[in-house]
Amino acid sequence: MTLTTRLGGAALFVAAVAAAAALIHFAVVLLVPIVAAHDAYARLAELETPGTTAPLPRAGPDERRFPWDDPALAASFCRFDLSAGPLRVKAPVGRAGFASLSFHTRRGAVFYALTDRAATHGRMEAVVVTPAQLRNLVAHDDEDDPSQDLRVVSPTVAGFVIMRAYSELPSLYAAAADEVEAMTCASEPPTP
Amino acid sequence: MTLVVKALAAGAIGLALGLAWSGSILADPPFGAVTIGAWRVAATAGSLDADPYTRAALARSGEIPLALGEGLKLVARVDSAGRPLDRRCLYRIGTRTPAARYWTLSLTDADGYPVENAAGRYGYRSSEILRDGDGGFSVYVSALAHSGNWLPIGRVQTFALALRLYDTPLAANAGGIEKSSVPTIEREGCA
Repeated sequence: MTLTTRLGGAALFVAAVAAAAALIHFAVVLLVPIVAAHDAYARLAELETPGTTAPLPRAGPDERRFPWDDPALAASFCRFDLSAGPLRVKAPVGRAGFASLSFHTRRGAVFYALTDRAATHGRMEAVVVTPAQLRNLVAHDDEDDPSQDLRVVSPTVAGFVIMRAYSELPSLYAAAADEVEAMTCASEPPTP
Repeated sequence: MTLVVKALAAGAIGLALGLAWSGSILADPPFGAVTIGAWRVAATAGSLDADPYTRAALARSGEIPLALGEGLKLVARVDSAGRPLDRRCLYRIGTRTPAARYWTLSLTDADGYPVENAAGRYGYRSSEILRDGDGGFSVYVSALAHSGNWLPIGRVQTFALALRLYDTPLAANAGGIEKSSVPTIEREGCA
């Protein structure tokens, strides 16, 4: 065996290793969101029974579920499944301090958010719908008395809603926690 | 025969390398984040059009991302001179932040969780921090107690700093945040 064929063989081997590594890498990156058994939705599922609003544990050294949560903010959540009908979310706001609602897909991505600046009559309110439910609702709308609902289309049937409330001082955290726990998520009867 | 063995060996090494490579890259996804001074911000990390790396990293970490309309999270793992944050050093962070209704500055471990410390202090809020005469602020980050706004490093080897800007008009254009508007992280000395 000459030196050239040896080198050629080694180069081929390295190329095969690199190709295999690249293939595995791209497969992992694309598959992780689909197969991740412990994503945010699954972690939330450990903390509540479906259809209820539950507080998110406050960020702290002993709470290692949701990285990068801010200890200055209180938060609550509800998971939803729109196959039972649209979901009406109501969140009363009335403290000094920032508050917000964010709407997440099953995979955790945000598809809508609003803050207390968009609150009317002292609350943030929205109806989460599937594209089909939106068409149905629009078809049943009274043209002379259009619905005032803020309708938000969810790209996935399942997902979750997070309410966050900022506490201006450490002593005001309890008030922020009370505010987020007052959020309600209720399934609406599907329109006939 | 040797060809089969070689092919299997190449596949096995490739598998190991590919997994290790994926693991390290998902710990800090390469795309979608911009660097502003010492800080990194991935403004669209939580959005529907995030890149596959960012999506995979999110699914794995379990983080519930902030929406653009809610605010921005900036993370620093280095000081303003680009040196990795070191628990043996004293840092001064200040004195301004980009415009926001509220902001918080907190210290976390490398994974984004608060670090236990005797003072029970994990961060500062814009609405509670002590300010100097012209409205600026300084936060001192060190393992040993410091006067003023002291953020203890606590029992951890590597740490990060998180600056969150709530209800900020900059969210839509995070890449356009001026370097001069973000807080600097000055290393004042090391033990």
